[in-house]
Amino acid sequence: MRRVPGFLKKLLPALTGVGMIFVWYCICMGLSADHRFLLPSPSEVARAFVDKGPALWGGALTTGGGALAGFGISVTLSFIIALILSLSPLVRASLYPYLMILQMTPVIVIAPILILWVGPGFRSVTVITFLICFFPMVVNTTQGLISTDRNLVDYFRMCKASKWQEIWLLRVPSALPYFFTGLRIGATLAPIGAIVGDYIAGNSAGGQGGLGFLTIIYSSQFQMGALFATAIVGCALGFVFVAAVVALSWLSLHKWHESFSRTDT
Amino acid sequence: MTSEIQPIVEFAGVDKRYGDGPLILDNVSFKAERGDFISLIGPSGCGKSTVLKLISGLNPNSAGKIVVDGASPKGAVEKLSFVFQEPTLLPWHTVEKNVELPMKLHGTAAAGRAEVAARCLSLVGLSDRKDYYPRQLSGGQKMRVSIARALSVSPKILLLDEPFGALDEMTRDHLNEELLAIRQQLAWTAFFVTHSVAEAVFLSNRIIVMSANPGRIHSEVRVDFPYPRTEETRQSPEYQKLVAEVSKILRSVERLKK
Repeated sequence: MRRVPGFLKKLLPALTGVGMIFVWYCICMGLSADHRFLLPSPSEVARAFVDKGPALWGGALTTGGGALAGFGISVTLSFIIALILSLSPLVRASLYPYLMILQMTPVIVIAPILILWVGPGFRSVTVITFLICFFPMVVNTTQGLISTDRNLVDYFRMCKASKWQEIWLLRVPSALPYFFTGLRIGATLAPIGAIVGDYIAGNSAGGQGGLGFLTIIYSSQFQMGALFATAIVGCALGFVFVAAVVALSWLSLHKWHESFSRTDT
Repeated sequence: MTSEIQPIVEFAGVDKRYGDGPLILDNVSFKAERGDFISLIGPSGCGKSTVLKLISGLNPNSAGKIVVDGASPKGAVEKLSFVFQEPTLLPWHTVEKNVELPMKLHGTAAAGRAEVAARCLSLVGLSDRKDYYPRQLSGGQKMRVSIARALSVSPKILLLDEPFGALDEMTRDHLNEELLAIRQQLAWTAFFVTHSVAEAVFLSNRIIVMSANPGRIHSEVRVDFPYPRTEETRQSPEYQKLVAEVSKILRSVERLKK
């Protein structure tokens, strides 16, 4: 293969984006007049961004807040539960099935229950986000905590390290790469969870609606451009979450973990 | 003090079996004097590593008596250090922090740790690598860090379980010489498990040859070449003659097994 110049490599994703918008535009032009409503043109979507700017911004903040709260609780609780699960196979065997139940229960069914329990709006959205993120994070962190290098565990035991030292100085640091894998999955799920939560259990009173609520409004009014804009905002929210987690994992892993071994000087 | 003239490690009629399993060690007896460098060689399954584990107090013996520096092995934990075949370094710590680890685990104050770590790293010639992470080091360098880490607790006894088995011959020879040079400065007693007869002859003043199923002491060979030993020692006909002799004993032991 021939070498691609560096600047072209960096430009390539942007060029792909421009190309995709162009294709999108062409498809719009090709649609007959009575089908045109199905796919808004890029310019229509852009106009929706301007027209609905404040609503989209407010919705993004509300949804982002709910996603962040649910994600934060999920990180904390999944870490604690994973620590408990890592203690023994017996604990895992007796708790895993119930964690599975948590994951398998359809959110749409518990939403009404949650609304009754914690009230609609931010709280429900937070809990729903938590429920969606929690499982993959627990599974990954637990896997990390029980996959500690056997030789290192033996070394700690020979040094007469306490159980406490073994957990904090050995098991937790060596589980970090797994923890961040779980975090990355959680970060992609959190904004989706918050939008779904908002859609089924949001609170629209006093402009508290998030992106899920906007989706209900725009679809009932058949505003395709605004719906596309909402989707793009949701997508961007996801990117922000994932980027934050990637940055965090780079900060804590790049110096020592093999997955970043190209950063050597 | 009478303890100074007592052997530092004494095994008297020691048996070892795990649970109801087969006998691993059968009636093993020896005395190690202070400053001895004892290599344990023998076919696999002869219980060489088990001897180290019993000295460390990590596993209890099934019968017989073990005395380590005037106490039971459990009471002697602070006096000994381990080096394994794997360097077993923590990948998320720098070289310096890795060397400090056993002191940290034993509860040594942070202030004194850096100084000791610096001294141990200079012993193995890695002072300029203290801020590196293990993945940035070669296999030989990792092993040196592992040795520095073992020395950081000022052990009286060093237990080495095939520490250079995974290294190429050149690196292994270098590290053998370095290990002896360090020993000139710090007086510990060493128990060294290896598969390499040449290595055993080069390092030790005593070689214990073991036979397998169950593990027994077959014979002991004294190596009387004076320390310090160097590359010249390896070239000498006496050295090569002794390597050949010990190899012959080892082969006869291995035949015994079949």
